[in-house]
Formats: sequence, structure tokens, C-alpha cells
Amino acid sequence: MVNYLIVLFAITLMYFSSADRLVTYVKLIALQGLLLCGIAIFELKEVNTANLLFIVAETLIFKTVVLPYLLNRIIRRSGVTKVHRLAMPGFYLLIFSIFGLLISVILANILINPFINTIYLAVALFTLVTGLLLIVTHRLIISQLIGFLIIENAVFMFSLAVGNEMPMLINVGILLDIFVGVLILGFFGLRLKPHTNELTMLKD
Amino acid sequence: MMAGFVLIMIAAFFVPGIILRTRSIASGRKGPGLFQPVKDIMVLLKKGSVFSTTTGLIFQIAPAISLATVLCAMMLLPFAEQKALLSFEGDFVMFAYLLALGKFFTIIAALDTGSSFEGMGASREALFSMLVEPAFFILLATFAMFTGYTSFSVIFNHFYITGNNYVMIYSIIGVYLFIQIAMVENSRVPVDDPKTHLELTMIHEVMILDYSGFDKALIHSGMYLKFALYGSLIYNLIVPAGWNIFLQTGLFLAVQSSFAIVIGVTESFRARNKMNKNPKFILTLSAIAYIAFTVILILTNKLA
Repeated sequence: MVNYLIVLFAITLMYFSSADRLVTYVKLIALQGLLLCGIAIFELKEVNTANLLFIVAETLIFKTVVLPYLLNRIIRRSGVTKVHRLAMPGFYLLIFSIFGLLISVILANILINPFINTIYLAVALFTLVTGLLLIVTHRLIISQLIGFLIIENAVFMFSLAVGNEMPMLINVGILLDIFVGVLILGFFGLRLKPHTNELTMLKD
Repeated sequence: MMAGFVLIMIAAFFVPGIILRTRSIASGRKGPGLFQPVKDIMVLLKKGSVFSTTTGLIFQIAPAISLATVLCAMMLLPFAEQKALLSFEGDFVMFAYLLALGKFFTIIAALDTGSSFEGMGASREALFSMLVEPAFFILLATFAMFTGYTSFSVIFNHFYITGNNYVMIYSIIGVYLFIQIAMVENSRVPVDDPKTHLELTMIHEVMILDYSGFDKALIHSGMYLKFALYGSLIYNLIVPAGWNIFLQTGLFLAVQSSFAIVIGVTESFRARNKMNKNPKFILTLSAIAYIAFTVILILTNKLA
């Protein structure tokens, strides 16, 4: 079952490369949160129940509901619905993404070790590459924020890979989640004045 | 051994009718009968062909070659536990390139007319066919890797008896991709729209504008057979080969009908892509196939 969810997770990453509406990104982020919750439930068998409940609640509430809600609000307030026209076209981004997957698989295979499941490592690296690609190739601040969220999912995915041996890493991943939430709230959610086009600014 | 071939022929009679009927019901019309597309072909078959004076031999032989390639490709598909009429190692490569040969002739026939509209359509069709090819091959490579065989007959015979727990991943991804590939290859929504009326927005339709009568009938029947061909691929993927043959025959017709309904519903409720979004859409299919391929590499420990 875990493998089904991981494959679905990888497919959502490919859709990140081909989507060009910000609402689609937000839906994908929410879906990824849900998938990560499923993976955590199936994968973390040796973690104590209280910790597992905390992880599941965090992924469900924070990743699936709160962050997408905040992002949706930001999109509505700023009135920006699509990625910037100067962003790299999805076609090339997809090609880069395919190469990213190839590189991730090769890297995962080099780093193979008995404590880590290769498929987790490969998908976590692929998630990291997709997030970086999104940040590098897109022009709007909000796209880059979404790229950062994807990278953060990569960290969580990787922490799940070793979660049974090192539960501490998962908590670090969750802390990063909360940090991103505060970041969004602080920089974009509260201080932003409506209709001032602050979010449509280019990164330079 | 002929069963698969004959069943695809039978399915081709009603699949286009069901697509039309689904579209008309979804848009609140009564719509034509199930066999209207076949009746239209019968009418066209009785007519002669008119050829433009600017066209040459290629334009005249292309429809026949296009139909012949589809018929040959049909011979490569198995049904139930029976082997296909033609079956050999690596026959899926032949399958893909037979269909590509038919398309190649349609493309050069379109260029042969000298019309700029047809040249434009040919260029788009060539691009989209080229982009969809990796998706098909990577998917088939995934199945070959999964079962350990390279012939359609053996791959589908062994698909459900490999004992692998992850078979459902590949059948779900396979069905999704085959439906999308069928839509692209048969020039349907979202990539192309057979009902469009403006040459500038046409892809496949603009290429066959100069055909009439008998030749047009050949092209249309080739397209209907191609639908049933992809329906048969989907059927082989989701129904284990070992089941009772009578049950399988019923299921085959049911799967073909459902396939037609899915296409009809998709065409009714989905908008057509912008032309410049099409390459990205098709490449996404290849990317998904590639993910399936990567996962099978890791899960079966074939990555040394």
C-alpha cells in the first residue's frame, strides 16, 4: 500500500512541473499532505502511538488544511492566478524534471544502505530536485514559496524513510513545517496590504 | 487465434457509435443510432473518389496503406490465453511502428496536396505522434521488465501470474496511459477535436480534407479500428488471461463499451487544450510512464 502512495506522490511532482495555475499548485500541495499522512500511518510501525498520532494530526491539519488555506488566501488577496509569463515553459521544466528523476534514482542507488528504503530515498531526492527546479525557473515569489514547501515535503519524506530508527528526524521535519507556516503568515499573510501587487514582484 | 482479430473488428462497429451517443446524451440531444458511423462508411464506400490534379500517387495509396497497417497491428494483439495471429519477441516494437507507418503515409499524403493548411496539420500531427511515442514505449518496457517477456501474447498471459504484489500499480497507470495515448493517437479531445470547423485549429481533420468517397471511408474505418485496437490493449491489461473464454468475450465487449463511454464523457466535459499546451500535456504522459518504469526498477531490484 505504501508503494501505491509513493507512486502517486511522485506523479503529483510531475504535475507540479506541468501545471501553470497557482490554484493547481495549492491543490497539489494539499494532496501531497494527505499522501504523506497515509505514508506515515503505513510506514511508522515502531514509533510510539502518541508520537504517531501527533505526526498524523500535523500532516492532516497543517499540511493538508492550514497551509493550502493560507496559500489560497494569499492568491485571492493578491489576485495573481497564474505563474509569471517569464517563467520557464512547462515543457522544458518537465524535461528537466525527468532528468531530475533519473539523477535521483542514480544517487539513491549510490547511497543504498540497509537502513533506508531505496524507493523513499529516490522519491525524496526527486521531490527536492522538483522544489529546487520550481524555485530556480519561476519568477514570482509565491511560486518560490511553493517550491520551498515542496522541499520541505522532501525533508519529511526522507525523515519517514529513516523514521523507525530515528524518530527525532520526523520531529525536525515537523518543526520545519511550523516554521514555514509562520513564515507564510508573517511575511505574506499579515503584513501584506491588499492590491498593492507585492506578491507579483519578481524575485530580482 | 483469430478470436482477438474478429472481436476487435466487431468492437470497431459499435465503439464510434457509443462515443457519438454518449456525447449527444451528455449534451441533451437524442443523437444518432449506434451504427450511424458504420452506415456513413457504407454510403462513402459506394461512392467514387475525386483526386485533385496537384496530387500524386502517394496521396492515392495512403488511405489503403493506413488501413492495412492498422489491420496488421491488430494481428499482433492476443485475446485471453490464445496467442496472437502473429507473435514474436519484441512484437510491441513492430506494433508501434506499424501504426507509425500508417501515420507517416497520411502525413506525406497531406504534404502531397500542396495545401498550406494540410502541411500545418501534418506538422502538428508529426510532433504529437513523436511526443506520444516515448510514453507508449516506456509503458511497454515497464510491462516487459515486470513480466520478463517482450511479446504481447506472453506479457499479457503472465501479467497477473507473476505473483508480484504491485501488479495493480501497473494496471492502473497502464489503463490511464493507454486511454490518454488512444486519445492522442486518434486525434480526440483534449489534444484535437474531430468536430472543429476551422482549418487553423484542426490537426488530423485538416490532413484528410482532400479525401472523398471510398478513400475517406478507408481512413474513417482505420480510425475506428484503431479505437478498438487500443480498447483491446486496455482489456488485455485489466482482465487476467486465464479466465473462462465465454466470460472473457462478454467482458471484452463490456470493456470496449466502457472505453467508448469514457472517451465520450471526456469529450463532453473537457475543454480542448490550447495548441501550445499540447506538447506539455503529452510529455506529462511520458513522465508518468517513466515514473512507473523507475518504480519497477527499484521494486524488482533490477537496478544493479
